[in-house]
Amino acid sequence: MPISYFQAAMLGLLQGVSELFPVSSLGHSVILPQLVGWDIHQNDKFFITFLVATHLATAIVLLFFFWRDWVRIVKGLGRSLRDRGIGLDDTDAKLGWLLVVGTIPAGLLGLLLEHKLRSVFASAQSASIFLFVNGLLLYGAELLRRRAPQASEDDDARIAKTVGWRDATLVGTAQALALVPGISRSGVTMGGGLLVGLSHKDAARFAFLLATPIIGAAAVLKLPELAGPDGRGVRGPALVGALCASVTAYLSVRFLMRFFETQTLVPFAVYCLAAGAACAIYFALQ
Amino acid sequence: MSLDRKRLLSAAAIVVGVLLIVLAIVYWVEPAKSLPSFIPGHEAGSNHHHVKHGIAAFLVGLACLVFAWFNSGPERTRTGTTTSS
Repeated sequence: MPISYFQAAMLGLLQGVSELFPVSSLGHSVILPQLVGWDIHQNDKFFITFLVATHLATAIVLLFFFWRDWVRIVKGLGRSLRDRGIGLDDTDAKLGWLLVVGTIPAGLLGLLLEHKLRSVFASAQSASIFLFVNGLLLYGAELLRRRAPQASEDDDARIAKTVGWRDATLVGTAQALALVPGISRSGVTMGGGLLVGLSHKDAARFAFLLATPIIGAAAVLKLPELAGPDGRGVRGPALVGALCASVTAYLSVRFLMRFFETQTLVPFAVYCLAAGAACAIYFALQ
Repeated sequence: MSLDRKRLLSAAAIVVGVLLIVLAIVYWVEPAKSLPSFIPGHEAGSNHHHVKHGIAAFLVGLACLVFAWFNSGPERTRTGTTTSS
């Protein structure tokens, strides 16, 4: 078996946390096996197949966590299509189209660049360096962020009023940076959200809503690999990994939504800078 | 935006949207060797289907059609009432 049940459980637990914490799940999935000496490499077919299952689990958890929001958003999208326009006070429709506008460029870049970037930046050394860069990005976003105006409206209304079409496109496009192992998708989108004027809580909410379709679609697109010959010998561990990922993803999203009510990205920036620098030095000396 | 420009933009978006969706179908149906040489992904002798290229073309095509749908819809005023264009 190319990946043991123990390894699958560990990687699943790690994936669930690191996909939603702004610390790069892909980077950690590349670095951890090298640190502990497991014979698992990012471009191994079985590992990519395994990651599909854990990503799908994370996307499903996000979908259910924000289920009521998604129902309102989808209804809003339907309403706007019916009316051929977004009503001035229809924040659900506006938020829905902001998510669509943010998802399209990330999806396109992901479809076209994923394979190339994955093969160029496959080493644990480069993932460590980009983890350090991720720390700089998070810290930079905190330094440059605009002060978010606090209004008494609900969360989604605030996001819909603060984020413009251009902002959504930029934040969505920036998600593509997360194709590089070490750069965090949620980190980039949260940082982008702060730069366009969202509060930490709203930026986290926008990042998680934006992540759901893209993580889900990427996983569904590769699901045939899990069902096909590439999935032979990996399906059992993949299921264990997916279950572990779903548990930690749920706990992570619950924790982060409360954490960002009062806290900032700085602790994650410090972690990425320290872990990235330490791992880069360790791998260089090996 | 003037009415003529709006109509022109909607018509262009529909044409581009339809072309991209047709292109997506071509990517899904034809192997790389059978794609016309001016289309990205053409590769002589390759039986590979560019499924991802097809999805990308389909998504952009769909986005163009949605844009045309909204752009050709009734004008919205500040009070939320609509006027036909």
